[in-house]
Amino acid sequence: WTDGELKLEMEAQEVVDLIKALFAESDYRHKAIAEIRRTTLRRFNLSQLVNNLLHNEKAIPFEFLVNGQFLRSSIEEFLTQNGISAETTLNVEYTRALIPPLNVSSFEHDDWVSSVDILSQTSPAGSWSKDGIQSGQERILSASYDGLVRVWNLSGDCIATSPPPNNGGRITSLKSAKWISATRLVAAGLDNVVRVYKYDEDERTITSTLELYNHRWGVEDIAVHGPSNRILSASSDTTISLFSSNAKENPTAPSNLLPTSTAASNKRQKLSKPDRTVPSRGALSTLSGHTSPVSSVIFKPDDATVAYSASHDHTLRTWDLPTSTCVDTRTTGHSLLSLAALPSRNLLATGTSARHITLIDPRTSATQIAIMTLRGHGNGVVSLDTDPTSEYGLVSGSHDGTVKIWDIRSKQYASAPGEGQVGESVYSFDREGAVKMRSHGEGVKVFGVRWEQEVGIVSAGEDKKVQINRSR
Amino acid sequence: NIDPESLLPKLPDPDELKPFPTTCAAIFRGQEGRVRSVSIDPRGIFVASGGDDGYVRIWEILTGRQVWNVKVSDDDNVDTVRWRPGKDSAILAAAAGENIYLIVPFAILSPDVEQASRDLLDAGWGYAASKPSTTANGAAPKEPAARWSRPEKRLEDKGVLVQTTVRSTVKVINWHRKGEYFATVSPRGQSSAVAIHTLSKHLTQLPFRRLRGLAQSAQFHPSKAIFFVATRNSIRSYDLAKQELVKILQPGAKWISSFDVHPGGDNLIVGTYDKRLLWHDLDLSTTPYKTLRYHQEAIRAVAFHHGGLPLFADASDDGSLQIFHGKVVGDLMENATIVPLKVLRGHQVRSRLGVMDVDWHPREPWCVSAGADGTCRLWN
Ligand SMILES: [Mg+2]
Repeated sequence: WTDGELKLEMEAQEVVDLIKALFAESDYRHKAIAEIRRTTLRRFNLSQLVNNLLHNEKAIPFEFLVNGQFLRSSIEEFLTQNGISAETTLNVEYTRALIPPLNVSSFEHDDWVSSVDILSQTSPAGSWSKDGIQSGQERILSASYDGLVRVWNLSGDCIATSPPPNNGGRITSLKSAKWISATRLVAAGLDNVVRVYKYDEDERTITSTLELYNHRWGVEDIAVHGPSNRILSASSDTTISLFSSNAKENPTAPSNLLPTSTAASNKRQKLSKPDRTVPSRGALSTLSGHTSPVSSVIFKPDDATVAYSASHDHTLRTWDLPTSTCVDTRTTGHSLLSLAALPSRNLLATGTSARHITLIDPRTSATQIAIMTLRGHGNGVVSLDTDPTSEYGLVSGSHDGTVKIWDIRSKQYASAPGEGQVGESVYSFDREGAVKMRSHGEGVKVFGVRWEQEVGIVSAGEDKKVQINRSR
Repeated sequence: NIDPESLLPKLPDPDELKPFPTTCAAIFRGQEGRVRSVSIDPRGIFVASGGDDGYVRIWEILTGRQVWNVKVSDDDNVDTVRWRPGKDSAILAAAAGENIYLIVPFAILSPDVEQASRDLLDAGWGYAASKPSTTANGAAPKEPAARWSRPEKRLEDKGVLVQTTVRSTVKVINWHRKGEYFATVSPRGQSSAVAIHTLSKHLTQLPFRRLRGLAQSAQFHPSKAIFFVATRNSIRSYDLAKQELVKILQPGAKWISSFDVHPGGDNLIVGTYDKRLLWHDLDLSTTPYKTLRYHQEAIRAVAFHHGGLPLFADASDDGSLQIFHGKVVGDLMENATIVPLKVLRGHQVRSRLGVMDVDWHPREPWCVSAGADGTCRLWN
């Protein structure tokens, strides 16, 4: 929303109390309070007052938090709705308000786009790259159902496209792609193979350098930890594989999974004439325990020896990678389709087939399943990422065709038992050019979303587009 | 004065019976003409469909993405598609006209799953050539019950590995839970209307020399060696080991379209072209325990959830599906609780045909429907 759009009717005394709570006694505060007494203030003026008190030259829109919850009404209403007596001391904070991320560009593909990743100075792969990524050199990686990965600049020019994989007549639609560094990528999908590619910016080429075999059904998600060269892949075969991005660290590939392993597939493979051979390897370890397809996997943000996974079997699991063991299982009520971590809040966010996002504290005892439930999507929540500038922020992509932004401090007053507190989205946007949005999202389903400081929110979908939304 | 309403047992509130499907989560588009049949694979990842365009198609269940297809017939509809049970292989059975096709859609399979599936289909080739098919009375028939052959190369190259040709158009395929047998129904086939096929031997048997009435559907009992056959007006159960009739159910219907056996084996639902849905408790009576009239037009398909949820669904030519709670209690003294939960609308009615088939996800409270409007829909 734009600053001032919200109608926040407050009594002058309420605003005075807010200012007193937020700022120490000063001439500026004295002047501000005098001004408030003259008019009935709305939010716009309140935000302006804070800017003045902070001596900001350029006005920044602010939001106000009372007892950790967004103030979306007058203080009096807030107290009534939360059942707080007027005598209670309130904890008041201000925070930078979200500036609506507008659609700044869209990149056309030939087929559905299943996944995107961002390479920039502050993105994980950028921070793992020796020389870093200069401003203006940001790159976007996309994975498509046509089986190809592509690298784009922010102007929407496709810099390089991978060669089509040769896999003996198997479908090669991709489900996930990630940057390992500024020069290496990894991608996987319905043909079960995890492929590592070399990306050459000068030559504008993407070359397959390693094929990793361990899955018997499609790969739904990949996670990467650059410094240790580790790759995790989550599969519909109910397992997660741990690989190294360095070919030699991995054992030999299991022969029964290679396209040359059976007479029929070997024959098809030869007919399609591969022009070069790429080394094949197996997995360092297999994480077994889930009983249904695994939709998503991530490394623990501050400890790459730990991984989290979410599965259609309703569980969220914590894995100790050195011993390949499942150390914790949380059971929810629904198929889990996506996963992201809010490390400073000690929370994991998981998107469900039941149209909501569940926040889980992986540390606490299993008695409380959900800390909070974020509601508002009309279909499965299949992709999640964290706000690069706020420890409270999340972005979600759904088959309903929308991308929604959440601040876990934005809560509804009522909640159902077992769900924890209920949160609502602070902003939502559709696919560019989408008309008549329906919850089944036909033609506009969002499959992947990433959020990065410089680039903004990048989302991919059934409309065959990568869409960039950025606050201006 | 007693209010008669107060004497009726109170039905639970649908809100207390969650989860059940309420909304359309995906539309599967890309078929020409009616979609006649849908089947969700045993892992719950893919949906197979068949219809009037002669294609068998496979889709990703969550996204509605078409991942594979083959045109098996230029002239005939694909009337039924059914995945073989079992997670270590992936075999799809489909019928068009007089042909049953056994398919290994290798394009979506890893080499080892493809090989395991091929091995299951290839095992029977030696038998077919050496042994003639027999009828129940052991006499060699004039015409073989079925001809097992390799399909034309175009089909074989797509993974259609076995073609079983029977005497008359096949409308129904149902697998035995272990995947070694499947039953087919050809309503116009008279003495060959119901056939039981043995996968590992490429053998077709015709267990009924003479059926009273036109066969509509047939199914194996979920755990016992019992076989159910529906004709227009009744459903008979047979003991396969003793080769004798066990029971005749009389739903009181003019024309049965379909039935399904509860996973516990003691209850059965029946859908009829005369708009009725009937619940039979096999322990109670040969007449229905409950008759449900909710649809404006014919009911074409009925299905229990087979993955542990107390749910069942029907599909009607009025364009809607209805979802019911159906809880079976093990106690013989207590009868099943049946509660209508939700009407699912979205399919368009075309030429007076609406929803033609419905199948449940193996675990989740999700179902997929097939429509005469050319779409399949996922409901969750
Ligand atoms: Mg009973």
